Amino acid sequence: MLESRWLRWIGTGVIAVVAVASVASVAIGAGPRHWTPQACVDEAGDRAAAARSAEPASLGDLAREAWFRLDPRLDRVGALDGQRLAVGLDGERSSRIMDLPPESFAAGPFGRIVLVGTDDGATSRLRAIDVAGQCSWDLGEETAVIRRATIDPGGRMVYEMRVDRATRADLGIWSRPLDGTRPAEPFLEPIGADERFGPTFSTEFAWERSGAALAVQSCGEVACRTRVVDPDSGTLRALAEPDLGSLVGLDGERLVTYAACPGLPCPVVSTDLSTGARSVLADAAATAVLVATPDGPRLVHEAFAGAGIVLTSVTLDGSSASDLGPVPEGLRLHATPEIAGTSTRVGSGWVLLSPDGRLPDTGPNARTQLRHVTDGTTVQLDEVSR
Amino acid sequence: MNGTQRTWDGTKPRLLRLVACAVAAIIALLVAAAGVTAHAPDPIFSGRWNQNQALQFAWRSGSVPATGYQTAIKAAAADASATRGSQAATFSYAAGASNLIGYGVGATCSPAGIACFTRNAPTSFTMWMREQGHRFDWGSLRWCQAYTTWPDGCYDVENIMLDEFGHVEILNHHSNYTNLSDYTDAVVQTASRPKPQTGWSAHAFGRCDVASLQLQYDMQGWGAKYSTCLDLVTTLALGANAGYVGYGGTVTLTATLKVANNSTYSRLAANPVALRYVTLERRAAGTTAWTSVGAMSYGSTSGTYTKAVQLTTRTEFRAVFRKPADEGLRAATSPTAVVAIGP
Repeated sequence: MLESRWLRWIGTGVIAVVAVASVASVAIGAGPRHWTPQACVDEAGDRAAAARSAEPASLGDLAREAWFRLDPRLDRVGALDGQRLAVGLDGERSSRIMDLPPESFAAGPFGRIVLVGTDDGATSRLRAIDVAGQCSWDLGEETAVIRRATIDPGGRMVYEMRVDRATRADLGIWSRPLDGTRPAEPFLEPIGADERFGPTFSTEFAWERSGAALAVQSCGEVACRTRVVDPDSGTLRALAEPDLGSLVGLDGERLVTYAACPGLPCPVVSTDLSTGARSVLADAAATAVLVATPDGPRLVHEAFAGAGIVLTSVTLDGSSASDLGPVPEGLRLHATPEIAGTSTRVGSGWVLLSPDGRLPDTGPNARTQLRHVTDGTTVQLDEVSR
Repeated sequence: MNGTQRTWDGTKPRLLRLVACAVAAIIALLVAAAGVTAHAPDPIFSGRWNQNQALQFAWRSGSVPATGYQTAIKAAAADASATRGSQAATFSYAAGASNLIGYGVGATCSPAGIACFTRNAPTSFTMWMREQGHRFDWGSLRWCQAYTTWPDGCYDVENIMLDEFGHVEILNHHSNYTNLSDYTDAVVQTASRPKPQTGWSAHAFGRCDVASLQLQYDMQGWGAKYSTCLDLVTTLALGANAGYVGYGGTVTLTATLKVANNSTYSRLAANPVALRYVTLERRAAGTTAWTSVGAMSYGSTSGTYTKAVQLTTRTEFRAVFRKPADEGLRAATSPTAVVAIGP
């Protein structure tokens, strides 16, 4: 298998060949139910293991993969009143619902873990939810606002982005052990002001698949700056080109991003972090993701074709483009978690197609399907995951 | 609203002057740069709608905007239709339409977007706006329409959605001067402006938005004004209905005014330019000073202008079109036409 060791795992979908007995304990057909996870009682080492559990190697492994969906909850005049987090396992037919404050986020899944940040207006709390274990543990509380967080693929550290509660000034990236043995400490300085990008609207994380580098992307209203950090050595490389937009993925020296577009379709560009050289991977892509395949990573993206949408795949040097066929009406390619607000892990070589490009609020269902990136095979998700 | 949140409302420099340069090769920019001076028409995306295509939209099920936002979005659609200054597409609400506009839940904008769109011209489009109170790193999004008294720092839904309709038409972000002095030349801007910054409540396309729409979709009529963001070369031809006339006879001069047939002018190339002020000048053969004969009348064919003149001597004529102050056309002077006194 020639899979790139650097590929960022994008986690766009999941299936399983059979509804294995391991999920039988979950109430079938129970639908969404409100849930307050109990505290995990396992040891710290188990927690790291939960966060680095192996990616699904086959369709049969997917039934116990975690998924999440985060939706804004609005009041009767459409104002943000809170967030609703739904979590579950792909093999379940039920989901667990948590109502969160307006300033909340979810990230992952990292193995079995969904990382959840909540802010009550005075304190930010970071919590790890072991979806399969149906429990959670607190990672920390801060008076600053924790905007985003991620766990390294090794399951060792949590990295979080903070802003000042009063001024919303960037306070940089902080790190803390997942097992809670040390307090958080500064990891990466706040990004400096740059009028070409304007105020920072969002900061997002993405990992190289091996965990050897963390991409921290700070986006203005349209254009983004990306800092790529080796968490072990601290080596930092920065890309600040105002014609580049949001992140698609990271593979070795290649940072794959959209151009700085206000909407879709938009070009997808690969930038060599060492040389700055660019190549255009797609002229006009709608949703785009990076996918690991046995022959190396590929960009998979939607392209508008007449009244429909087709899927196209291309290697990260821009060669070997292949047509993966049309996307069924009503379905879209599942985007990165930051855009879709939903996420689950899929096996190598697969992408997820789902209604409006998001997982339903009860998890994968009859309308979600997987398509194989190299041979175009389509699998009906509900037929294989339960 | 969370009292500790802050809506960014500081000075917001115009961003991304380089965007168009780098993306140009990718998205097949067709902007008519030639003949354009300081203010360039907005860059564009590839893919046009049909001329005057009527695009209808409806609310996305499960993500329907509140009534106040619906009103503002419909107003923005009307603004786009009314101020396009061209044969660009028009927008209107129609229940059951297939082009969906959504609010809040399910928005698949980039994490940094307060609103976003997809366009698949000439087939379909979608639009999204983030919910009131959406949290960004800088603070909470505030839509003006959420308040009885609009607070500083709020974004006007009508303005922001007009920007989105402009994108759907074909427009990419305008490229501003470094000092942003030309911000109001376009609604379609990279950096949206909240109240009370200049341009925050613009409800009409700016002149450089219109310029690109004219280039891509053509004029609504030959007498319509060209955007002052354009600087189009014009051509003026002049002919006489006779090469000579008898002493005291009358000759009719006909001038034809057109936009130059320049390939960078896209759909505007070689357009007849009608209902303008074109004058006829004359001089006696062998002299140098021109004198005005007067304004030429509109001809029966679009872009033509005529005037009859009585002659008693061999005369040279020329037609003159002076640069208008209110539109983006350059001056033109015709070649000389000579009419002799015949036997």
